[in-house]
Amino acid sequence: MNRIFAIAREESRLWLRSRLAQCTLLIFALLLAAVSISTSLRMSEEHRERSEQQALAEETFLSQPDRHPHRMVHYGHYVFRPPPPLAMIDPGVDAVTGQSIFLEGHRQNTAMFADARASADLGGFEGLTAALVYQLFVPLLLIAIGHGVFIREREENTLAPLLAQGVTGIQLYAGKWMALAGVALALLLPLAMVSAAAIVRGETLLASLGVIGLYAIYLFVWCGLILLVSARVRSRALSLGVLALFWLASALIVPRMAVESASATMPAPGKLETDLRMQAELREVGDGHYAGAPQFLQLQANLLALYDVERVEDLPVNFRGVVAEAAEADLTEVMNRFAEERMDLEARQARFAESFGWLSPVVAVSAGSRALSGTDLATHHRFLREAEDVRFDFIQGLNRVHVEQLDYIDDMNRSVDAESERRTRMSAENWNVLDGFSFQPAAADERLARAGAPLAMLFAWFLLVTAGGIHAARRMQP
Amino acid sequence: MTGLIREIRFLASDRAALLWLGIALLVACMSVFLGLREIAAQRAELNELIEIDRTEREVVDALYQDWGEVAYYTFHLTWDSPSDFAFAALGQRDTSPWKHHIRALALEGQIYETDAENPDFALIGRFDFAFAANLLAPLLLILLLHDLRSAERTAGRYEWLSATAASRGSPWFARAVLRVGALALCLIVPLWAGGLPGGAGASTLVAASLVVVLHIAFWWGVCALVDRFGWSSPVNLTALVGAWLALAVIVPAAIRISVEAAVPLPDGGDILLTQREAVNDAWDLPKSATMDPFVERHPEWADYTEISQSFEWKWYYAFQQVGDQTVEPLSRAYREGRIGRDRLAGRLAWLSPPALAERALQAIAGTNMAASLAYEQRVRDYHAALRTYYYPRLFRDEAVSDASIGQRPEFHAMGD
Repeated sequence: MNRIFAIAREESRLWLRSRLAQCTLLIFALLLAAVSISTSLRMSEEHRERSEQQALAEETFLSQPDRHPHRMVHYGHYVFRPPPPLAMIDPGVDAVTGQSIFLEGHRQNTAMFADARASADLGGFEGLTAALVYQLFVPLLLIAIGHGVFIREREENTLAPLLAQGVTGIQLYAGKWMALAGVALALLLPLAMVSAAAIVRGETLLASLGVIGLYAIYLFVWCGLILLVSARVRSRALSLGVLALFWLASALIVPRMAVESASATMPAPGKLETDLRMQAELREVGDGHYAGAPQFLQLQANLLALYDVERVEDLPVNFRGVVAEAAEADLTEVMNRFAEERMDLEARQARFAESFGWLSPVVAVSAGSRALSGTDLATHHRFLREAEDVRFDFIQGLNRVHVEQLDYIDDMNRSVDAESERRTRMSAENWNVLDGFSFQPAAADERLARAGAPLAMLFAWFLLVTAGGIHAARRMQP
Repeated sequence: MTGLIREIRFLASDRAALLWLGIALLVACMSVFLGLREIAAQRAELNELIEIDRTEREVVDALYQDWGEVAYYTFHLTWDSPSDFAFAALGQRDTSPWKHHIRALALEGQIYETDAENPDFALIGRFDFAFAANLLAPLLLILLLHDLRSAERTAGRYEWLSATAASRGSPWFARAVLRVGALALCLIVPLWAGGLPGGAGASTLVAASLVVVLHIAFWWGVCALVDRFGWSSPVNLTALVGAWLALAVIVPAAIRISVEAAVPLPDGGDILLTQREAVNDAWDLPKSATMDPFVERHPEWADYTEISQSFEWKWYYAFQQVGDQTVEPLSRAYREGRIGRDRLAGRLAWLSPPALAERALQAIAGTNMAASLAYEQRVRDYHAALRTYYYPRLFRDEAVSDASIGQRPEFHAMGD
């Protein structure tokens, strides 16, 4: 054991003495600190802003004056998705989805105003986040300082004396591994600090530790790979070439190939196309604004029979309200069916793309990181579903007021008689059918479960490269 | 000449160099293929949408007998067809809208709708030619050139090679030219092979090739500069990849942050909020509060502003228009802010050649922010034409007829 420590110590001392290693380490430390701080500040600012906007939207809705309840159905409401605490590390899909949705009657709107649409386009990496630096660029640093750990011993003719002294290949490997993994762990310090800050902001310990653990395994995969190549290859140039090739493929090429393959094997129709195809079905439901439409004749007959009256005017409820309520329910069922189909397809696409993590640890870590941070596609879908629940609840609440409190005759005459119109204005107290909305990411164990597959992939990678490295080290000859 | 043939032979026997060139060729071919497929899919989707939109409108046209209802229920598809070169740089088509379904109601509530693809995809990005040429190619060039001299130095042939050469540096120069040229060909040949049959004009392809060559030449310069220090291959490579990291990643990220700080943008949500308040408040306000600002913009309807009932369609459309008028300052600021950000980013992109090359390719492909804003303007113009068409029919209370509906303006995408 002491030997292993001695080897690790010696390796670290060499790095600390090398000007190149010093420079790259310093530059990366600065980069990590700067990006972590800027991502954290931006996300906490967003969190504050959107929480305020949510409160303001609710206040505005509740402070609307007395009016016809259907007017409130069209007045609508906004919901916002504040970024979860761990978005300080990985903002995930936040920048491309838009964070607010306008909720109104008879329609499901999309989230609008994604940041990506209003930002400068500068080639693909301009939206640099702490997560991206760890996923894509920290491995480059590890390659730069670690590609020659075994080769150096050969070049300097120290390998033969070491082995002759009775140091086994495995001890050598363990020592080198500890040195390189030590660098990786030191580089995780900014991430750990931001994760701690996330706990202060309400994140659970489990999720924060999960993120740190995920990135630790990921960087260990790279350490293992670097040691494996360095042990197998006899020249620095070749070692660098092989590692550069692997990085190029796994960090830049495979992730985009995953996207292309997923969209080719599971083409998803656009929302516009789905909406257009939905139109015919929606027409069958009928327009809830017109109680006389043929689609509602059956409903009318049923109601008349139920209350045993002859005319709609004699019903104890407002028939126009009943129609609005029934039409909204049917409409929502159709819309939800299409929305669920779409979300299901998107989720399957995402899972398909995620399976490329078996080919590239970068794909695995990015999927796991988004899942653990609560900024993945599944979280976005949850936001859409919860927003829809809020929408349906307050719309039907308002329709209930229409059914129960608003006089049918007044309702019919409100366009021509000012006095009737005045009586159709319902008290603003009714607007409290709106529930408060505060979007929370899924529970930590649920997120951990979603990150299970990527974690398994990383673990498999780790075992593979470590076993390979140990095998190579055991057979190492001077 | 014999020197060149010797160098070609040398390159042909350098397995590492062949590997990097092979990767460049493979990546370029794949990017062109995938880009063409994506554009074909977008075209097919548009054709299908145009067809559905037409049949849908025929159904709706037969349903309503009142211009107010016709205008309320009739949607119109607007779209931005991809250019024949869009396959090479998908650019804004990934995140910005290129199709809308609009009607004659307030436009501000409709124009920001985005029919986006799977957000996971937009996050990672597409595999288009611009990605291959601007981000991957510099790395491959670095891998090709970083050990040109230093490898010979390590092998102990450097002094000998230099001494036997006709002029100092010439074998290195020929060797570098050959590799740079080969890499450029690996990128440009697939581009032409995919672009010409796809319909992209030769002049477009020449312009794009020029961008690629200039960008590669820049990186050659960087490699040559680092080469002068006489470091070992690993140090060269580390320094060059560091330069790539700085110029392709860190500088663009810094530019974006400074552009966003320098050019503030009104919050998009405020546009919708203001518009909603204006449109909804109109119901509770006296009719004159709507009709007066409306007539200011449309004095030709001043004699028709008498609203006698509590609901009339012309008043309804008037307050939709007034809603748009109310948010005009915000909406203009949002638009100008985006233009301002794009301009400033364009100037600052000179600090980052990969960003500059990306923007150049997007400009050639018509997939940049300017093209996206131009499409938005075409939607606005078309919406204005729809209003111009409906207003006389609403205000003069004309009867709905097939002949009259036949006069309704149709949307035409640019170049159609």
